[in-house]
Amino acid sequence: MDTTLSETQRLLRESLRDYLGNEVPFDRIRELEREGGADQALWEYLAGAGFLALPFAEAHGGEGGELTDTAVVLEELTRRACIIPFLETTASALAIARHGDGALADEVVRGVIGGAITIAPALQGSTPANGASPRVVDGALSGERRFVDYGAEVTHHLVEATENGEPGLYLVETAADGVATESLSTIARTPLAHCTYEGAPARRAGGAEALQFLRRAGRALCAVQCLGNAQQALDMTVEYVGMRVQFGRPIGSFQAVQHHCANMATQTLSARFLTYRAVWCVDQGIATDREIAKAKALASRAGTEVTMQAHILFGGIGYTEEYDLHFFSRHGKERALAWGSAEECLRVAADTLDEVQPWQ
Amino acid sequence: MEFGWNEELEAFRDEVRAFLQEFDTPALRKELANRGEAAQLGPEQTRLREALEDRGWVRMCWPEELGGEGKSQWFQFVMTEEFAKREVPYGSGFGTMVGPAIHRFGTEAQREKYLPGIWANDITLCLGYSEPNAGTDLAALETLAVKDGDDWLINGQKLWTSAADTASHVWLACRTDPDAPKHRGISTFIVPMDTPGISVRPIMTMSGGRTNEVFFEDVRVPSDALIGEVNQGWYIIANALDHERVWIGAGGGLRHIFDRLMAHIREKRPELLEDDVVRRRLVELELDLDVMEGLVLTNASIVASGDTPTMEASMSKIWTSELRYHISNVAMDLLGHEGALTEEADGFAPLGGELERTYRASPIQRFGGGANEVQRDIIARRGLGLPRH
Ligand SMILES: Cc1cc2nc3c(=O)[nH]c(=O)nc-3n(C[C@H](O)[C@H](O)[C@H](O)COP(=O)(O)OP(=O)(O)OC[C@H]3O[C@@H](n4cnc5c(N)ncnc54)[C@H](O)[C@@H]3O)c2cc1C
Repeated sequence: MDTTLSETQRLLRESLRDYLGNEVPFDRIRELEREGGADQALWEYLAGAGFLALPFAEAHGGEGGELTDTAVVLEELTRRACIIPFLETTASALAIARHGDGALADEVVRGVIGGAITIAPALQGSTPANGASPRVVDGALSGERRFVDYGAEVTHHLVEATENGEPGLYLVETAADGVATESLSTIARTPLAHCTYEGAPARRAGGAEALQFLRRAGRALCAVQCLGNAQQALDMTVEYVGMRVQFGRPIGSFQAVQHHCANMATQTLSARFLTYRAVWCVDQGIATDREIAKAKALASRAGTEVTMQAHILFGGIGYTEEYDLHFFSRHGKERALAWGSAEECLRVAADTLDEVQPWQ
Repeated sequence: MEFGWNEELEAFRDEVRAFLQEFDTPALRKELANRGEAAQLGPEQTRLREALEDRGWVRMCWPEELGGEGKSQWFQFVMTEEFAKREVPYGSGFGTMVGPAIHRFGTEAQREKYLPGIWANDITLCLGYSEPNAGTDLAALETLAVKDGDDWLINGQKLWTSAADTASHVWLACRTDPDAPKHRGISTFIVPMDTPGISVRPIMTMSGGRTNEVFFEDVRVPSDALIGEVNQGWYIIANALDHERVWIGAGGGLRHIFDRLMAHIREKRPELLEDDVVRRRLVELELDLDVMEGLVLTNASIVASGDTPTMEASMSKIWTSELRYHISNVAMDLLGHEGALTEEADGFAPLGGELERTYRASPIQRFGGGANEVQRDIIARRGLGLPRH
């Protein structure tokens, strides 16, 4: 057992933090939120600097690293409120690489590593759709998916669909005939789309195992995003209450404020352990739905409660658009709901309460 | 004890409902939706406001010497509640806060000069209290008013002055004696916003609303701009802020959000009601609303009996402001990813985006109007008599 970062992970984190601090100002995020779309320049940097290659096997041109390395990168991107389909693309490509068709895997992973291919998972979510769930007949996909992160920005969708009654994952090009995306606005102001497919050409990318992997990896990595938002809000708050003076003293010297900060820090650290363990278990192939769901439930709560408590301690200044705190409270809340809200995750965990867990 | 409503109040409630039925029109809704934080009322709201005046409902509960009818506070309560249920504001809040202060502390000439305009909404007000270094610690305010012949010369900066861009006047707290202890050197003024030397800069907030920064550079006002005695300002402000606290505590609209949530679930997400845990969460929210209403009624009872609530007002303020966050938070969680959609996601957003909007707007209720941490101090010290450290 070792919950600390490896030397490689520390270096990854530091070099990315430097880059983002210099090259991705928050005004860039404001612009993206206003105009829509993802940060193409950042994506090209990540591809060029090898960040996209981390979790993939060397046989496909990857770095052969651990999924926790990718999680460290994702947390750092979250702490800068970056708007890119990093989780979506990584989890999708990994699902294909580890459990999908071999020839397709090589093509997809190389495309992802080079920066040319981006992928959005289009899975069955919690909200029932009005239209039909996607089905594939003779290589053509038809149906509807409600909430697809970056659905209008990526080059490909990885759609959960059935073919002859069997569930599987199907790769569809966003630009293909028969694919329509309608952008939906959320509290995060990051890209989300409602997608409809009408006879879109689709390639089978994996079966039930790939689908299960994608669900788990996506949920575990989304927990990392929740955690990143909480951590950033916590760090900003600790710094701010140490400086802000009211009643002739820093507000951070009031016991009530210190207790809030202590609770925020404890909540964040406890979510950190479960979250990274969940990512590690996915990587090792020993994850269970229950462990992933519990981690996401906890991280969802941290990403919500810690960021909103930060707003209380910041007072008026943190409530303005000019200040940067709202990125983390808004993104934190949206991530808390994506890939299963705390309530939904607890329901999943409750359903498997009788199953024995790997470390029991 | 009596937990019901007497016939007179029931009848009044029916009257208010009928009134709202008549005036809560699609045109009013549209106007309210597009209004932003403007101090002025649009034509529909003005119509509603005038009708309220005609019925004598605006000041019915004020003492007769303040121009009211001295009716029991329960009438005000019933009216506020019915308006809140429909989320219809019944005027610009600051007028009903500053009006009584001018009435009580102003001279005869000042009453005549300002009150008719305030009641008719020709004079609209913004509140110039907070400053960069004076938030929770309001008494630390530094904007300086200096006597210059017969006039006052004002210099300094206000922050978070909502509606400063649309109001006709600012109700302004200034330091008039820098050497006195900080609570004893403050005075209140009413100043036309078009006075030379005042400039306004917008500040946009995460709730989508606008507030402002206001700068005062050698702003010259006549001596009758001062309301009350010199250096009596803190007392006047504290009086007015008490009104605001009760107002925040009234929790306008939260029950309404819950009702809309239930309607959404019944219509669009019936599968949720098959889950016992969801049902329990919903009942807990209902219970939280019951507590809120219980605290509000407890406060109203104290006021109606002629006393002033202290710790009860703080309890109500804390509970209601936390509940605003909690109810939107839990509801979004129950609905899952669709809970994140904003009103722009037309046709997809549950409750027309009201949950996410309420969530984003919830922080200010918790740190504004006296931060909840300070309210807890009040409960512990003033209410429970615990010692200071
Ligand atoms: C959108 C908006 C509109 C507003 N409109 C107006 C307006 O029209 N007119 C006006 O005058 N003001 C207005 N305000 C200002 C508002 O009243 C202040 O924001 C509020 O008083 C808090 O002050 P602050 O923002 O400086 O926070 P701070 O005073 O810095 O407080 C921040 C936090 O520190 C903690 N804290 C502070 N003091 C203590 C203590 N003694 N013990 C324990 N904890 C403490 C609390 O957690 C508090 O929430 C508005 C603010 C906003 C954001």
